[in-house]
Amino acid sequence: MRATPDFVTDAHRKGGVHPTARSAKRSGKGPRRAPEPRPGGKSIRDRQARTGWLYTTPALLVVAAVTIFPVVYSVVMSFTKVRLTHAGTQVTDWTTANYTTMLGSSAWREALLFTVGYTLVTVAVELALGTAVAVLLERLEAGRGWLLALLLIPWSLITVVSAQLWDYLYDATYGAVTWLFGLVLAEPPVILGTPVPAITGMAAADIWKTTPFVAVIVLAGLVRIPREQYEAAEMDGANAWTTFRRIVLPALRPVVAVAVLFRVLQAFGIFDLPFVLTQGGPGTATQSLAILGYRALFQDLNIGLGAAIATSTGLLVVLGCLLFLRVFRSQVDSAAEAGEGGAA
Amino acid sequence: MSRYRRRTGVRRYLNVVNIGALVLAAATSLPLIWMALTSFKSPVEAGAVPPTFFPDDPTLANYGNALGSAGFGRYLLNSTIVSVSSTAIVLCLALFAGYALGRLPLRGRGPIMVALLVISVFPTIAVVTPLYLVERQLGLLNGYWGLIIPYVAFHLPFAIWILRNSLLDIPYELEESATVDGASPARTLLSVILPQARPALFTAGVFTFTATWTEFLMALTFNAEDSHRTVPVGIALFSGLYEIPFGTIFAGAMAATVPIALLVLIFRRSVLSGLTDGAVKG
Repeated sequence: MRATPDFVTDAHRKGGVHPTARSAKRSGKGPRRAPEPRPGGKSIRDRQARTGWLYTTPALLVVAAVTIFPVVYSVVMSFTKVRLTHAGTQVTDWTTANYTTMLGSSAWREALLFTVGYTLVTVAVELALGTAVAVLLERLEAGRGWLLALLLIPWSLITVVSAQLWDYLYDATYGAVTWLFGLVLAEPPVILGTPVPAITGMAAADIWKTTPFVAVIVLAGLVRIPREQYEAAEMDGANAWTTFRRIVLPALRPVVAVAVLFRVLQAFGIFDLPFVLTQGGPGTATQSLAILGYRALFQDLNIGLGAAIATSTGLLVVLGCLLFLRVFRSQVDSAAEAGEGGAA
Repeated sequence: MSRYRRRTGVRRYLNVVNIGALVLAAATSLPLIWMALTSFKSPVEAGAVPPTFFPDDPTLANYGNALGSAGFGRYLLNSTIVSVSSTAIVLCLALFAGYALGRLPLRGRGPIMVALLVISVFPTIAVVTPLYLVERQLGLLNGYWGLIIPYVAFHLPFAIWILRNSLLDIPYELEESATVDGASPARTLLSVILPQARPALFTAGVFTFTATWTEFLMALTFNAEDSHRTVPVGIALFSGLYEIPFGTIFAGAMAATVPIALLVLIFRRSVLSGLTDGAVKG
């Protein structure tokens, strides 16, 4: 069945389709094209194209109406003076005041610094832990399916539920984590009451919930490394670390790139967790860009400033994405080539 | 291979990998078990120092409170309506769009797919204000459609990608023979392609349902009124008079978590293939 990933069943190692056979089929450069419809010539093709647009338009219209239009609207609002009225909004005067206010505010600079730092640290930790978990899962002989299933539960958990759960565990008087610290330390920390422990606690909650996602993706890359490569390395007398560095890491680069991209995008827009767990506090220690934007928009009702924060966050995400793809493109391609070449 | 050295007896199972797996299982499940157990504790016991592990005197009072006076029943109903409708609409639209983008000679297929990818990663905060203002003007706030429409739009791109990728593998002969037999394009799609697309539909369905069930920011801004809150908003904004009633919150959270956890466990193959197809083929 196509919906069964190899690593659940290990089928390819027990004589099923060899993974390289599959990946070789799929690794042709660029998107695979549908073969040209054979007989009939232009009229069939035209009819098919018409049907195609008929089938695609509803989906594209919905997506465009709800995403592209608001983005444009948001950019416009960020460059104008906006006032909320009873009927809707009143837009007057083009201005860059929203951006000057934003760039000049220490709250925005702190939020930017926090969001970038938080994203880098949590994603790095998740990547390291996730890779370790994936290596562990790959070597696990019994119960791999069960453990994978268990890992999917934090992934599917409502973030708000996870935030309330950790809020309870971190509670200064009756929280289980606080109590555990009390067993070791004379004075257990008020976790959510001081900046550094609060940031660490929030990161820990995030890492607990999202490391499984990274692990599952890395595992998918791991099981695609053909056994012969390990055997060759062993014959050459490579130790475990050299094997990991020379064979496993290069082969994992493409999947890791995708996992990192997804996680960075998510972490950069982080909202649910600080909203419930820390409310951006203590003070503004955990105030992410999304929290700051939400406050400007819906609590201070400063639509122009909020739109400027939202637009610049979106812009940063897109720029980060492009930069990442640029840096990783060559690595992804070369890793894929090396992987295929070695397997052939 | 040397890394699978054979040992006998109990020692066979005492190795780094198995111990690591146990630690991993414990680290993953303990917070969840803690939440489950707390939902059966009385408010006094939930605030006990030192904390108890198993409830001394298990009670269902939290569940009574959550589903009764706290209104979680209503939130669950709202979430179910929104998530089921969004998922159904997403699957319908994505089946047709994914088929067309994968198998019909459309010009500009590549740019469309890339645009969809970019849209699907855009942070919600960047679109939530204009959407809020538009919905306010159209009177869609605090209603089901006000959430269903944006949910459909934001989760369609991923579903289209999954369906398109899976439909690429179907041999063209199947369709051609159906066309030769005189079947209309829609008929071919429904009778030839649909059965082949079933695994991808499951994958896209589980992902869409999970994503809409857990979405918070849009639900918070568009449907903040108590009668239209979804579960995440209800859980986030639930507060007691003097202190946070964690027992009641966790009872509600359990009622929202158990169904989605079961769904994910039943369809775990679909979920795993969705995660890995996204990464490997992406």
